[in-house]
Amino acid sequence: VEHVGYKPTLNKNPPLKGLKTASTFVLEQPRCVFDKYSNADIWLVVALEQTAAAFNDSVEPGTPESAYQSFPASVPAYMTLNATLANYPCPKPTGDITVLRVGSETSCAHDMARYTCNGPLPGPGPYQVKFLALEGSEPVAETDWSDPITLETAKSLSSISTTDGRHSAGMIALTTILSILFAILLAGLVAMLVFWGSDSCGGSSSTFSKPEAVTVQRYNTHHVYDQPAARL
Amino acid sequence: MAKSDDCIHILQGLLVFGNAVIGMCGIALTAECIYFVSDPHGLYPLLEATENNDIYAAAWIGIFVGFALFALSILGIVGVIKSDRTLLLVYIILMLITFAFEMASCITAATHRDFLTPNLFLKQMLERYQKSDPANNNDQRMTEGVTKTWDKLMLQNHCCGVLGPSDWQNYTSAFRATHSDADFPWPRKCCVMDAQGVPVNLDGCKLGVPGYYNSDGCYDAISGPMNTHAWGVAWFGFAILCWTFCVLLGTMFYWSGIEY
Repeated sequence: VEHVGYKPTLNKNPPLKGLKTASTFVLEQPRCVFDKYSNADIWLVVALEQTAAAFNDSVEPGTPESAYQSFPASVPAYMTLNATLANYPCPKPTGDITVLRVGSETSCAHDMARYTCNGPLPGPGPYQVKFLALEGSEPVAETDWSDPITLETAKSLSSISTTDGRHSAGMIALTTILSILFAILLAGLVAMLVFWGSDSCGGSSSTFSKPEAVTVQRYNTHHVYDQPAARL
Repeated sequence: MAKSDDCIHILQGLLVFGNAVIGMCGIALTAECIYFVSDPHGLYPLLEATENNDIYAAAWIGIFVGFALFALSILGIVGVIKSDRTLLLVYIILMLITFAFEMASCITAATHRDFLTPNLFLKQMLERYQKSDPANNNDQRMTEGVTKTWDKLMLQNHCCGVLGPSDWQNYTSAFRATHSDADFPWPRKCCVMDAQGVPVNLDGCKLGVPGYYNSDGCYDAISGPMNTHAWGVAWFGFAILCWTFCVLLGTMFYWSGIEY
């Protein structure tokens, strides 16, 4: 089996938000790696870091020994994402986004008829992957194992603390000033009522009269008409 | 006496002017609070689900206080012009009661605004968005309210989650319980949609390719209107109360000088 000097890596370009989620990760496609093997099927082998060494290259894909559904309980690794060299043309056209999303097929995860399902990964890992080229059922080339890939683990939502709101300065200032103003007004009201009727505050010089309601009555009598005559 | 007559007239004039301003501010306060209560941004279901919707209570109090201020300002103007001791005493006491209510409204609005932190909305979103097994009718109503509001928020503001799509990855949620991580790293509404409401590129959205998903958080879209609401009620109310304080002090001084 020829050892091709390529190490599978997570996709670098463009930056992907979903590069690693809780059950999937995104690999670069192995372009310009298996150019000599135009007849071969290129498979992806997914193993846990601690079971990678136990994987035997002669295991055939699509059998119970390499089934996704038996991983990691009874098999050290599973094989999936079958492709040929035509799927990985060399060189890669710039501008295209070419990736391999490991874990994207949810429909066949429990389908025992599909051993090569690219199902969601069962735990946070760490995982190691490599590409294996098979002609017929004979392995002819393989890449290095990748660096260990550890997936995201979600924290429990009850760990979110919602009681850390501190009182802002504005609220404290507002409360204080309003309380003081209200207290002054109440004091003023009390003072007003206590000194109701007493002249000690202000005295008679600052009191003022209400505007009197003066009514003018016209007396239509003889006196009014006679007065101008009397003056003259 | 002429000089003190002038002083009296100046004081009367000032009090009438002060009351007129209070009346107009009362109308403005009522209008502002009606605007807030009408919830133009549709964020009320989020507050209702936090069971902490006191900034709405503050706005409701503001509506009635505004009317009261307007009515009392008219009473005050009449009382000052007629120099009637009884009228002015009634005016002062009722104004003090209104002052107390408006003070409560301002302090409530300011205090409860401080509780509305990003973590509060994050926890609520994770607990309730697309929750599938509500405990009772009330729970069901709140869940539907939160889900609809978040869907609308994410669609209209082109945002995802409170701080970003990673909210859905970093924490467990009711959404995650029914939607697998591989198919739904984040809700579909976080994808860039075309005119029909269908994601432009679903695979691009699931992968997180820039341009096919909303990468910003929605917290700004929530906290902006809520801040405006809370500070509008609190600070405008505070300004009115400061002015009312001065007018009331002047009225008390005027009242104590009226001959009975």
